[in-house]
Amino acid sequence: MIQSPLRAPLIKGKKTYQSITSDILDPMMSKPGSLWYIGIFISGSALLFGAFMIFWTIWHGIGTWGLNRTVGWGWGITNFVWWIGIGHAGTFISAILLLFRQKWRTSINRSAEAMTIFAVMCAMLFPIIHMGRPLLGFYIFPYPNTRGMWVNFNSPLVWDVFAISTYFTVSLVFWYVGMIPDIGTVRDKIKAGWKKTVYKVLSFGWKGSARHWHRHEVLSLMLAALAAPLVLSVHSIVSMDFATSVIPGWHTTIFPPYFVSGAIFSGFAMVLTLMIITRKALNLQDYITVGHVESMNKIIIATGSIVGLAYITEMFMSWYSGVEYEHYMLINRATGPYWWAYWIMMTCNLISPQLLWIKKLRTNIVFTFCLSIVINIGMWFERFVIVVTSLHRDYLTSSWAMYKPTIVEVGLFLGTLGFFFTAFFIFIRVFPVIAIAEVKSVVKSSGEKETKKD
Amino acid sequence: MENAKTITIVFDDEQPLLQAVKKIRESGANIIDVFTPFPVHGLDPALSMKRSRIPLVGFIGGAIGGLLGFGFQTWVFTVDYPLVFGGKPLLSVPSFIPVTFECTILFAALSMAGAFFIKSRLKPDKKFEPVDPDITDDKFLILVDGETSAEKIKTVLSGINTIEIK
Amino acid sequence: MDEQFKFTNQYRNVLAIAAIGGLLVFLASVFIFKPDASRVWANVLLNNQYFLGISLGAAFFLAVHRIAWSGWHTALQRIPESLTAFLPVAFILMLLLFFGMHDIYHWSHYEGYDPILEGKEAWLNVPFFFIRMVAYFAGWIALTRGMRKNTDMLQDSEDLKFHNRRKVFAGIFLVFFGVTVSASAWDWLMSIDGHWYSTIYGWYVFIGMFVTSLAFMILLIWFLKRAGYLEFIRVDHIHDLGKLLFAFSVFWTYLWFSQYLLIWYGHIPEETSYFIQRREDFEMLFWLNICLNFIIPFFGLMRLDAKRQLNWLAGIAGVVMIGHWIDYFQMIMPGAAGEHAGIGIPEISLTVAYMGLFLFIVLKALASRSLIVKHDPLLEESLHYES
Repeated sequence: MIQSPLRAPLIKGKKTYQSITSDILDPMMSKPGSLWYIGIFISGSALLFGAFMIFWTIWHGIGTWGLNRTVGWGWGITNFVWWIGIGHAGTFISAILLLFRQKWRTSINRSAEAMTIFAVMCAMLFPIIHMGRPLLGFYIFPYPNTRGMWVNFNSPLVWDVFAISTYFTVSLVFWYVGMIPDIGTVRDKIKAGWKKTVYKVLSFGWKGSARHWHRHEVLSLMLAALAAPLVLSVHSIVSMDFATSVIPGWHTTIFPPYFVSGAIFSGFAMVLTLMIITRKALNLQDYITVGHVESMNKIIIATGSIVGLAYITEMFMSWYSGVEYEHYMLINRATGPYWWAYWIMMTCNLISPQLLWIKKLRTNIVFTFCLSIVINIGMWFERFVIVVTSLHRDYLTSSWAMYKPTIVEVGLFLGTLGFFFTAFFIFIRVFPVIAIAEVKSVVKSSGEKETKKD
Repeated sequence: MENAKTITIVFDDEQPLLQAVKKIRESGANIIDVFTPFPVHGLDPALSMKRSRIPLVGFIGGAIGGLLGFGFQTWVFTVDYPLVFGGKPLLSVPSFIPVTFECTILFAALSMAGAFFIKSRLKPDKKFEPVDPDITDDKFLILVDGETSAEKIKTVLSGINTIEIK
Repeated sequence: MDEQFKFTNQYRNVLAIAAIGGLLVFLASVFIFKPDASRVWANVLLNNQYFLGISLGAAFFLAVHRIAWSGWHTALQRIPESLTAFLPVAFILMLLLFFGMHDIYHWSHYEGYDPILEGKEAWLNVPFFFIRMVAYFAGWIALTRGMRKNTDMLQDSEDLKFHNRRKVFAGIFLVFFGVTVSASAWDWLMSIDGHWYSTIYGWYVFIGMFVTSLAFMILLIWFLKRAGYLEFIRVDHIHDLGKLLFAFSVFWTYLWFSQYLLIWYGHIPEETSYFIQRREDFEMLFWLNICLNFIIPFFGLMRLDAKRQLNWLAGIAGVVMIGHWIDYFQMIMPGAAGEHAGIGIPEISLTVAYMGLFLFIVLKALASRSLIVKHDPLLEESLHYES
């Protein structure tokens, strides 16, 4: 493969195969630093707080939440959609960027996929506890029960069950299969002991045979080809939870592609947040370079602008439609009691990513880090605006109500954040954060090294 | 796999490995397997490897999943427990599509992953010993069967940068 | 490395005969069969939109590849580049709608009490309609010209500034296009059914354009290769175009389904009327649309080797081209011509005429410079590209 001299190297510091292995494995095998302990202490505390709130919710019931008859969906569904959305970036990086042959993905795909899995786990929590009696959660699956009834396959909530469980399973398989060769590396590098035995089992006896590599490559490509439409379908189906209804602000046909785009947008923001911390903490600046950050920022501009176009389209159409309820929805969102949520969403999602058109800003790590958090906040508010402002003004004026979360809901959200970061902190201690074999396969053509032409 | 009658040739980069594979195959010696730390571009055609049929497995798995998913929903709502939801017809195809799609993807993905593990005979095995622990780090290795003498291999590979032939 | 396409007299004559002959047959059929004026004008709109879509899809293809630092497309970039040369002509043809406004757009001449259309008057009125049209085209023409000019400069000069300028134009184009592609679809297509609205509509039209454009590029490459040109286009390039055609056909279906499902599910009379008319009065075309644009490309291009055989791929691309013509027919005719709509001599002859004109302009633009942009800094990657 010939590479134009115009392209900047993806991996810095003239690396050999051996140094790649050691660069990535050393931080994992040595003792964690104090930052890691501080991090896991904070996130673990949040996790415990959340766990207590789960207990509280189940013990006392959904009445402990701030929901009322008009606003039946509040923080719970907001968090659910937010977390699912965050997960989408991982699949986007590992599947769609693989199909588009973006080599820079090799440095971030492993941790982004891990992020996907943890984010989907966080998301799955909310519908389950919102059922009130989570022990009966299996009712959502079609199984031959004693009443001879089945679930309602016409319901988008049932589609959700299928979409999210498929998404979780396929992402897990994709992530694990991709990691097997690297687990093999860990197994061969780690000192004999119980850990070595565990990695032996986990590596499925990977030995690097050419035939296995061939099948592995074919499998990865095929899984990517499946995961790409899958990731579209998942957030589309999530959007249909809203869009199949006839509530102004929910029933709009642009929702499926707009939700997908928003999901990737927020997911990339979260990947950036995590990667900027990780590269610093694990000393991986040579692998996750400013170039990577810039590429991700470009995707943020693209998806953020698509989301912005969707906002404008929705605004225009609610005026254009000539439906009075749509008109009211438009005005109520911008100037009603939740105006602040709407304007936070607009500022964070529509305006702030446009700053990234400036090259100086999108190659600035500190700025990117701050912006990624701003976008995460903005996308959370987007879902809040969609859920709450559309619900709180019902068709019947007598049903109008306001919604305020209680400490229980806030605690649940903090708890999922805690779980997410705890899981990620454990992940970086247990598995290689960067796909070692994939980086090795691109270092020749894209590393900082004399490129051999032949 | 590793009996006394094999010859192991070790390299430290992909280029000499590819050249060696070509030379050894030209000389008529039989390559049992090649081991590399990452998928080497151009190795599959050099070994004249047939393209894997994993995609076919995926297609069949996906087709089964899709048909099962659609068929099940149809059976539930038209035969087993007909019930009108939201004024829609009993066989409301559009709202069966999402679940059908998810079943297709799930079956296709799981069948392909299963085929990969079964065909490659990869399984959790705590007694596993690698051919050479450096393969997963930075060494490339060719295993030639013992029909050919090590001397002959050495002459065939003269001029190619090898680390070790044994 | 320098290969020039020769736009021979033979080609010129065939295309001129197609264009002029098609037009004459169309006019004759109008005078003989006396179809309703709405059908005549809807046909003009349909072909305007169809061929404009090919140009705009090509411009989008170029812009998005350039801004993403793509290397693989550089060997074939002259093909989409010359497709964008049609835009000024498309502009003139679109201005013709001025004479057909009343026959296509109910909102331009309704009488009596219609509060919904009255509410839209700030947007849907004839002067503003044409002001917007001029604005869209001015932007599209200027920005695609900017890209084309700088590509031409790279034929003679190695200066990287031309390459970088193209990228700037590409970025501006994408932003401008993002807004205008939806807005133009609302104006020219969605407003035909004046009471109806759908937020996804603009994106749906846009992906249709892009797929048509990909299919057209594949057909053009097939034709040029048969004529002995484009030796340097490898099977790997064909493979990638095939993958794009496959993927975006599926994506188009996704958007089609999203729109259909949500309107079907919500069952609001104002919204479902759109699909009820199409499913009841145009039932065959409604299903043919899905068949040609989804089922055939999906199963036809699923296998690996299907995307690598140019003849087969070109066949599928041809089916998709027909499919998207039918898709536009679905969007335009039921609202504009209603019971007067049909597919007969006027439709076929006018499309042939447009095709002749379109190819004439495109091939002329293609012949003006070398088929390969010699000093494109990413060209080497493309010439040795392996997919």
